[in-house]
Amino acid sequence: MRLFQFLIFSLSFLLFAFITVPVLNLFFVDKHLLFETLKDDEVWGALITTLKGAAFSTILGTLLGVPAAYLLSEYEFKGKEFLESLLNLPIVIPHVAVGVVLLKLLNGKSFLGSLFSHFGITFVDTIYGVVVAMCFVSISYVTVSALLGFRSVDRNLIWSARSLGATPFQVFRFIVFPLTFPYILRGALLSFARAVSEVGALLIIAYYPITAPILMYERFEDYGLKAATPVALLVVLFSLLIFTALLTLSSFLERKNG
Amino acid sequence: MVEISVEKRLKSFTLSVDFRVEKREYLTVIGRSGAGKSTLAKILAGVEKADLGSIRLNGEEISQLPPERRRISYLPQGSSLFPHMTVLENLLFPLKVKGKKDFSAVIELSEKFRIDGILTRKPREISGGEAQRVALARALLSEPEVIVLDEPLNQLDFFTKVELVKELKGLKGKTTVIHVTHDPLEVMELSDRVLLLERGKVSFLGSWRELLERGEGELPSTIRKFFLSL
Repeated sequence: MRLFQFLIFSLSFLLFAFITVPVLNLFFVDKHLLFETLKDDEVWGALITTLKGAAFSTILGTLLGVPAAYLLSEYEFKGKEFLESLLNLPIVIPHVAVGVVLLKLLNGKSFLGSLFSHFGITFVDTIYGVVVAMCFVSISYVTVSALLGFRSVDRNLIWSARSLGATPFQVFRFIVFPLTFPYILRGALLSFARAVSEVGALLIIAYYPITAPILMYERFEDYGLKAATPVALLVVLFSLLIFTALLTLSSFLERKNG
Repeated sequence: MVEISVEKRLKSFTLSVDFRVEKREYLTVIGRSGAGKSTLAKILAGVEKADLGSIRLNGEEISQLPPERRRISYLPQGSSLFPHMTVLENLLFPLKVKGKKDFSAVIELSEKFRIDGILTRKPREISGGEAQRVALARALLSEPEVIVLDEPLNQLDFFTKVELVKELKGLKGKTTVIHVTHDPLEVMELSDRVLLLERGKVSFLGSWRELLERGEGELPSTIRKFFLSL
């Protein structure tokens, strides 16, 4: 028994050390280089592009993912299981392949690419390309989380609400959505985090406007580890800040919902 | 008056019932687990569909109406309070969805059901007995013609159950109640009539005294033995 407990504790300790030590190690950075980086407009531009791209891709993913999750949780139809398994497709496709797939579909000579260009929207090396690539690789997280949320709502509550006079829309508005919101928020948070870290698909479809992970990669390629570290530190700090804020909000809402 | 004549194929038998509940009658529905009692309650509430048949409420066919238009309030098994709302918000819910602005009934009923001291609490902060009292008051606030209760006192301790039975007794003669239960105390204290459901069929419908005296079959005989042993 003691050996079992020892193993559980040791392996858990190793896991948390594995996650935190590399991040903490980032803080041992050349101070001079860090100050230089803080003054570097290209770094701030890349950070803003990343946050902007991730924010828009998360909003787009949530707008598309939540209704789809509701459809899958509420309605019975043929091919539902297949559609559910499709939700995980963006996670299993290698991200460079995602870039290739999107570039093939949305380049200026393709049907869709030329269609969108009529509205002044092009995807190769533009913020639209950044948003689409980020959205593709991250949309599964918010959709699956929303699906879990919708399925977690006790049917008793829905039936009671209906028999108390609520229409299906009122049930959604007053019962289902408020109870599912923490799940949606948590899913959106994961989607955002995933979008921020995207490199593979962006390398292919939208290298520019440059995002922070790509800038990090570029600095590493051109100047080595020392030059890439301060950028990495800034990205990690920003991500941790947003992650903590949203996680706190999500936990607060979950507690509020009882 | 509710006239119920419905059929629904279940896993191992067909629920097939044809009976009538008079206006302001308190009908308890008893039977073994899996006899179709909860399914019957759900069909009445409109949250489950019957394969065929009709439900007429005061002469109007309601089986095709959605639950919110049936004027039947349904308390399912387990907790039915909305966990993200306070007790007061739960009570106001039926008024809010119908766009009603007169809240005097909320005050009146919360006093009557002795829940006026817990209005600002969330369902997780109140006891099981209080939760059922809130659920009952909320059901009444929707001004239903019929209240369908599916084992509402199931998870309560004996003392709380006795208290709640008193509250339910207050409904007698005021509104039509169809109450699914396993509990002899509830049957004796509350029923105007008892409906015994066996494998989806009505095997007895009458007062509980008649059930003890004349009820035929395994279940009435078991119930009779139980009462005689008391």
